[in-house]
Amino acid sequence: MRTIAQINEKIQDQKAVVWTVEELKAQVAEKGVSQAAKEVDVVTTGTFEPMEASGAMINLGHTDPPINLRQCWLDSVPAYTGLGAVDLYLGATASPDYTSSGETTELETRFGVSHKERGGGNIIQNLIAGEPVQLKAIGQVSDCYPRASFQTTLTRETVNQFYLYNPRNLYQNFIVGVNAGDRVLHTYLGPLHPNLGNAVYSSPGAIAPLFNDPKLQLIGIGTRVFLGGGVGYIAAEGTQHFPKQRRLENQTPIGPAATLTLVGNAKEMSPRWVRGCYFKNYGPSLMLGVGIPLPMLNEEAVANCAVRDEDIVAPIVDFSIPRRVRPTFGLVNYAQLKSGTIKIEGETVRTAPLASIARSREVAQLLKEQILAGKFPLAEPIAPLPMDRAFLPQDRWGSQFALD
Amino acid sequence: MKKRVTLTFPKNRVPMPVTYRLAKDFNVASNIIRAQVAPNRTSKLVVELLGDIDEIEAAIEWMGLQNITVSLASREIVIDEDSCVDCGLCTGVCPTEALTLDPETFKLNFTRSRCVVCEQCIPTCPVQAISTNF
Repeated sequence: MRTIAQINEKIQDQKAVVWTVEELKAQVAEKGVSQAAKEVDVVTTGTFEPMEASGAMINLGHTDPPINLRQCWLDSVPAYTGLGAVDLYLGATASPDYTSSGETTELETRFGVSHKERGGGNIIQNLIAGEPVQLKAIGQVSDCYPRASFQTTLTRETVNQFYLYNPRNLYQNFIVGVNAGDRVLHTYLGPLHPNLGNAVYSSPGAIAPLFNDPKLQLIGIGTRVFLGGGVGYIAAEGTQHFPKQRRLENQTPIGPAATLTLVGNAKEMSPRWVRGCYFKNYGPSLMLGVGIPLPMLNEEAVANCAVRDEDIVAPIVDFSIPRRVRPTFGLVNYAQLKSGTIKIEGETVRTAPLASIARSREVAQLLKEQILAGKFPLAEPIAPLPMDRAFLPQDRWGSQFALD
Repeated sequence: MKKRVTLTFPKNRVPMPVTYRLAKDFNVASNIIRAQVAPNRTSKLVVELLGDIDEIEAAIEWMGLQNITVSLASREIVIDEDSCVDCGLCTGVCPTEALTLDPETFKLNFTRSRCVVCEQCIPTCPVQAISTNF
């Protein structure tokens, strides 16, 4: 029906028809798939949610005399240095490590937040916001790199490269967390109150990017995306990529499925879309705004994007059993989740999202505006994402291949 | 009229049935919002007093004479709108539905009059946008 090259010509001429994914759903409901497919060139999707498998790759620039980093801390948060001499990787969930950075008593507050409640994600946000961050480093002394230690203040302007290298972003669907136990649980979904006190869902549902391209036919390696307010690219499948998750008839997965590795230049990103966050008694993480423009190549693409909250489901998982395979209370659809309450075994349980649906919409809208202005051409994928990955557990007594 | 007050009882006043006296002697209904009461301890009660304005004034004066400290300023939840990302996580732990997401815009709404200052939202917020004013 149309190709990415043809769409890009229209984008360049500022003549492309671009709808947010919610506009597409409304248009399809009104005039049907065929008519909508004739009109629309690109559909923009977005999400804003914690994506803890994220982090920043930073190259400091060489010191004189030179140093080969062995250990280093950014505002007391340790970063990985087992790379090139002045390359470091700061993970979003890294926690402050006072003992080894020599700051045993320091619990000062910064921006009203205790240092204890900060982590790698907050440091990444601070750097993106242009704020100074203190670096302390210990060197691996050698004839090439004689320096044994180094301290300085960094900003994003004083380092060479500052990129997000995120090995797992944009989960295609996730779970709903509940707690059937008798004490509060502190989780990566926030606090789960006992006796099914609340339920937390973390995907924004039918507006989430990968729900609208369930079989990953419109994206691939090399696809240009909105990442943290700047530009990013799909570099590979993400870690724990599990496209073989069971799927409904509409091809959407019934639980966590595909994931993506995203890379992008953090110097061009904005702290509005890269937000450090902290889950009490769990740890730090990073909230990210990510958007994918989906080229409407054919009617099937439009039909897939028309999927509604009532057509997609997630499993309700009980966190009170801390095992790899936790018991579930069955599946629930996203329209029920977004209504504010669900029924679990006859009881009404309040639901709350973890993804910001308001900000997810804002990402789709911003991306639409950038494309309409001719500033965001689509990138042709150079290779497809694999659709045949298994999901292997790591078991001490030999591996099992049961997937649920 | 309605008036929200925080009552601090010295330990020797804990045995006194204060809300009963407010109702019986002053015709003032006291809706207990929060309570931290234990025998032989300084105790606190956050109550909403409901009644005629003169009778509420008289009740407050009487409580003062009983060595009960009446504070008109009560702790309130404050939401920093610049930090809030409208994720809505707090809405699931709010027992009175003072915190809700707008069903259309999915932005956070805070209905102060429903808030009982239980403070469960404070540690729930992943971006530390919720605090109390003192």
